[in-house]
Amino acid sequence: MPSLKPLRVSDQTQTESSVATLTERPWNVVVWDDPVTPMSVVVVIFRKIFGYPNNKATQLMLTVHHEGRAIVWSGPLERAQGYCVKLQVAGLLCTIEQDS
Amino acid sequence: MAGRLFVRRRDGRIEVRLNDAGREIAREAFGHVLAAETDPTHEWHASLNGPIDPSHDVDDPLATFNRQHEMTSNVELAVATLGEEFLNDAEAWAWLCTLQIALRATITAKGILTSDRLEETDDTTRDYIQTLQAFLFSLADAM
Repeated sequence: MPSLKPLRVSDQTQTESSVATLTERPWNVVVWDDPVTPMSVVVVIFRKIFGYPNNKATQLMLTVHHEGRAIVWSGPLERAQGYCVKLQVAGLLCTIEQDS
Repeated sequence: MAGRLFVRRRDGRIEVRLNDAGREIAREAFGHVLAAETDPTHEWHASLNGPIDPSHDVDDPLATFNRQHEMTSNVELAVATLGEEFLNDAEAWAWLCTLQIALRATITAKGILTSDRLEETDDTTRDYIQTLQAFLFSLADAM
């Protein structure tokens, strides 16, 4: 078993910096396309859940439709989970992923 | 079914213009969602319990609990208001969510994941999907 050596100050700083970088990476709420959900329903759901104005909700819906998925919100893990749950409760295909 | 099925009135409520056949379809859809929530053998059950974070084997239990709680609240409110002539905003939202879950669970259970696959599906399933889409389209328009 290797002996444990105390970390140098520079090592500690590097480690803390790496941890901070990891914890600060935001979580993305991703909505996926499906072939049946009416476009207007997706817009209503985005407006209701995020409070987005109609043009932003429409733009995100079109991104889902044309690109197969869209990041509709980014931020801390707990809030991302909360939004994902609300979108799934509203019947949309939704997951969360940490920003790369 | 011609004409608007849901109409926003001046007092803010949403009028439900479904006939008996339409309400029966909604009743059936809501009933399936309610049953699928608690019955792991129901063909819609898996669709209602999709992953939140697919990079992990198990989701956060609190998030899973919240999802089940919110879904149950919506479907129970939708069932309770099935016979109503007018819906308030919360009731209309519960209808929209539950109808949308029924629509997505139908395509998931039947493996209809692309537009091509939707074209190939049988007439009964396609009619059912188009009916739910018509309900949702009109309800979203009224909201």
